[in-house]
Amino acid sequence: MPAVARPPRRHSLAWLQGLGCGAVVALVPAMALLLGVLLLPGLLAVLYDRQPGRPVARTVLMCGTAASIAPVLALWGAGTTIDACVGLLGDLRVTGTAWSAAAVGWILAELAPVVALVVLEAITAARTARLREARDKLAAEWGFEEEP
Amino acid sequence: MHHEGTAKMATPPETSIAGRYTVLPAQPMPEAGGGLPCFAAKDSRSGDTGLIAIQVRRDAPARAQPLQLLTQPIDGLLTPLAHGPAPGPRGEAGYFVICPAPPGPPLTGRLRPWPEAALISLALRPIALVLEKLASHNVTHRAIRLNNVFEGRRGQPLVLGAAWAAPPALHQPALFDPPYSAMCHPAGRGDGRIADDVYALGVLLLALALGRVPLTGLDEAAILRRKLELGSHAALVGDERLPAMVSDLLRGMLAEDPEHRPTPTLLLDPAVARSRRVAARPPRRAQRALPVGEIAVWDARTLAYALGTDADQGIGALRSGTAVQWLRRSLGDVQLATRVDELVHHRLADTPSEELRADLMMLMGAVAAIDPLAPLCWHGVALWPDGLGPLLLAASGDPALAGKLQDMIATEAAANWGSLRPERCDVPLLRMEARQNRAYLATPGLAGGQARLTYLLNPVLPCASPLVADRLVMRLSDVPAAIEAAVAANPKAVPMDAQLAAFIAARSDSRTEAEANALTSNAQNPVNLPELRLLAELQVRYHPKPLPALAASIAGSAAPMIAAWMNRPRRRELTGQLKTLAAAGQLLPMLALLEDPPGRSADAAGARLAAAEVTQIDAELAAIAASADERRATATRLAQEIAAGAGLLALAVMLVVAVLG
Repeated sequence: MPAVARPPRRHSLAWLQGLGCGAVVALVPAMALLLGVLLLPGLLAVLYDRQPGRPVARTVLMCGTAASIAPVLALWGAGTTIDACVGLLGDLRVTGTAWSAAAVGWILAELAPVVALVVLEAITAARTARLREARDKLAAEWGFEEEP
Repeated sequence: MHHEGTAKMATPPETSIAGRYTVLPAQPMPEAGGGLPCFAAKDSRSGDTGLIAIQVRRDAPARAQPLQLLTQPIDGLLTPLAHGPAPGPRGEAGYFVICPAPPGPPLTGRLRPWPEAALISLALRPIALVLEKLASHNVTHRAIRLNNVFEGRRGQPLVLGAAWAAPPALHQPALFDPPYSAMCHPAGRGDGRIADDVYALGVLLLALALGRVPLTGLDEAAILRRKLELGSHAALVGDERLPAMVSDLLRGMLAEDPEHRPTPTLLLDPAVARSRRVAARPPRRAQRALPVGEIAVWDARTLAYALGTDADQGIGALRSGTAVQWLRRSLGDVQLATRVDELVHHRLADTPSEELRADLMMLMGAVAAIDPLAPLCWHGVALWPDGLGPLLLAASGDPALAGKLQDMIATEAAANWGSLRPERCDVPLLRMEARQNRAYLATPGLAGGQARLTYLLNPVLPCASPLVADRLVMRLSDVPAAIEAAVAANPKAVPMDAQLAAFIAARSDSRTEAEANALTSNAQNPVNLPELRLLAELQVRYHPKPLPALAASIAGSAAPMIAAWMNRPRRRELTGQLKTLAAAGQLLPMLALLEDPPGRSADAAGARLAAAEVTQIDAELAAIAASADERRATATRLAQEIAAGAGLLALAVMLVVAVLG
């Protein structure tokens, strides 16, 4: 019986990510709380995005992370205390900005394919028209059949 | 006067023959033509009015060989002086043979018993001299009969009439023809040999000696049957009392076998000719008759005649064995019965693909075996192979006869017939002619088939195309003007049909023949490039004058030729240029425009290139139509990458701001 080559085993990094998150929660709980709240839309997107590579979640997380840089630095400057964290989270501008950025990311991820498709179809239609025009001209000049 | 050959026929039709002989249709001379329509004629050059013009029937062409070979006048004979087209009595296009006028009326109705001395000096010797001269030209007369032999004043030699304006022996009654010729279809009797003229001269001498026509009251078939059953001499002379010299001469002249008849040279000395003994045994008569069809057969030659002229009954009699049995038991000719039996057994042992043809071949062989003097008998038609041309013409209005002749030609029956009696014919020549005839009959296309062969075997036959029916088109040079006139009279007329094509192919040299063989026109496309090529060549070679009506007709129906070009704008250009050229009436430039080999090859190359381009475009369009899903996936993937990139960019910017800030 011939030997069947087994595919290489893929190792999941989820346990490593969980370990990292656990370490952050244990070592800097205030920072973990702040990030958890600010990046909540991105984490939800990770849960709900079932596409390979989770492109929507990735964009939402990127945008949310970009908006979370300033609050994280502020919390770090305030000593990474729970009070400072609550203070920041209580500021609607901080939370609103982070969540708005995540929303922008989501909108971008959803609209971009539609826009790209429209542009691509327009290019294809223009090419098709040029080809048909050339074919009609040849058909008229040489008496070929009309395109079926 | 000398022979002028065929007269030219220009446009409009000529009124004189050979440029000098004028037919006078208002002066008919019904007795001078030997049964053919005849009119007075005059020589406009010399003023001689002692001429006649014998009209040639369209379905019975003149004899080409005598007209070509008899270039010098022969005393005692109405020698042809010229021949050609001229207006007939009703103004129609007619064809005439010009001859000297006979010295007096024909012998018909003027018969009286001639004394022996007058018979020898005024009839036998002068006519034998004429026959001798004809024989030296390798020409036969084949029209020696009472209404074609003329008597001037009493005491003057008889004069033989013309025999050139109809196929040989066409109008010869059975009385004056040997049985082996009389049993043939009138148009298929062929040129025969000078011995056949000696035979007819013998019958003429007999009639003159008796002062009446022998066997009066019997019809043609009865005369033929009587000659076959009794032998010609016994049938015609019977118990008549004749001068001794004449009686002896007639015994030889009326011999059944032409080899046994005296030659014309011998007849010039009757004393020697009479002394020549002819071994003529009376035909063996059977004890009882054998019925074959409607004929009660009593002797072998009549059996051959009955078998040859009634194919169905003949095949039946042979296959059933009754004919062989009759030959063996009733006639007592065991040797002949054995020969015929071998033929029948050979046929019955064979299982050919075409039963009827094999039966007809057997029948033909049996007739040749029973009567070696008999003509070729095929499917009830008796003919001599050299009479095939006029017979084919006669068959053009008789599909049944035409079918039989075509079958005969297709099987090369004449060659087989010749090989059955090699001592009496030139077998290699017959075989070669049979092969040629078969090849011409089988020639495909417009210019092949029976019409082609008919024109080939009848060199003086006018074109029978309905297009030129009102003219007498005898030669290739007549064709362009005739077509031009026909198309001018009826612009919708198709300028080429099968009869014209066959006529041109038959009359042309090898170059024009090749063009004619390539003709492809049909009812839908009457004029294609091959037709135009042929017409242009005819114009260049024979008629350099403009042919505007024909050119316009061709330009008007040139769509199929123009359609051979692929490029549409070029087609439109060609149409316009063709109309311009047609106005000049010259076909060659039109042909050059439509043929144009470099242009055609460039056109074909362009068409190929365009076709390749179209194929490529079609493939590309099909690929575009099939790739909609792929495009959607690509758009989505691309957009997601862009969105992710935008997010990453925002993150990077914020990090930079944080670091710097």
